[in-house]
Amino acid sequence: MKAERLHELADAYGADLRRWPASERAFAESLLAADPSLKAVLDEAATLDGLLNAAPAPVPSAALTARILADAPKRKARGRLGRAVWYLGAGWAAAACAGVVAGVGLTTHLSADARADAVLYQSSLTGVDDTEVLG
Amino acid sequence: MVAIVDPDEDLVRRVGQGDPAAAQTLVARKLPRILALAQRMLGDAAEAEDVAQEAMLKAWRQAPKWAPGKARFDTWLHRVALNLCYDRLRRRREIPTDTPPDRPDEGPAPDRGLLAAETGVRVDAALKRLPDRQREAIVLCHYQELSNIEAAALMEISVEALESLLSRGRRALRQALSDMAPAGSPRAGRGDGR
Repeated sequence: MKAERLHELADAYGADLRRWPASERAFAESLLAADPSLKAVLDEAATLDGLLNAAPAPVPSAALTARILADAPKRKARGRLGRAVWYLGAGWAAAACAGVVAGVGLTTHLSADARADAVLYQSSLTGVDDTEVLG
Repeated sequence: MVAIVDPDEDLVRRVGQGDPAAAQTLVARKLPRILALAQRMLGDAAEAEDVAQEAMLKAWRQAPKWAPGKARFDTWLHRVALNLCYDRLRRRREIPTDTPPDRPDEGPAPDRGLLAAETGVRVDAALKRLPDRQREAIVLCHYQELSNIEAAALMEISVEALESLLSRGRRALRQALSDMAPAGSPRAGRGDGR
């Protein structure tokens, strides 16, 4: 970096190297270390920085802060209607579960009866056959 | 693509979930910055409050759908606030007022014993008289302490153009405030050095 670039950077960004482009800070520091007379460039810029810093930043009022916070996103509160919908949903879910259990039980019972009937029928058929064959 | 590290990411997520403590923290962290940005861009306290409130309301609406990794939340909020400031500055230009634009500084006569508050008033007045783009560059880089890359991106200009705006803005401020520079200062009372 040449001294001319140091002037350009100080004119644009001021005396505080933290405001300078990150890619040029190290070069600037090495240049200043090699030639301390260049520090006068930063001193020039520091004068205006000091004046700029004298302008105080506004402080947000409590009223402004409260107005803004009043509109902040809220957690979804479960109201009376929401609770009713939730209980209704839970009731339907319980009824559905009961239906499944009953259905499975009934199916098991019916299939067992059907199997027993089939066995009896087959054995009766066998009996007929035996009678016919054996006389 | 380089991943964007956003220090506000977790906070914004919690705000989006309706966490009141997170909302308070976000306001404490961002409102002073956004109010200062608006105040310095507009030079009007009441308008600055309106802009800050509107920007924060947009933040509340954005928080639940914020997609991390695309941009830093702080940069996005600056963009929102700057757009609101520009809307107001445009409206001012469309409705002429009695205030003449860009006139030379007519502040008090040189007085080395100026109080700090008075200095602040003079600096604010000089800043207000800068062309909008020069003021924006100085506000973003000096006061908001954004990097040159962030500031240039927000202003949608190149880094070289940003540097040019900064140099011209600071030069105009030096001229406007030359009577306030400490005695013996290299550029005190001097006009444009370059």
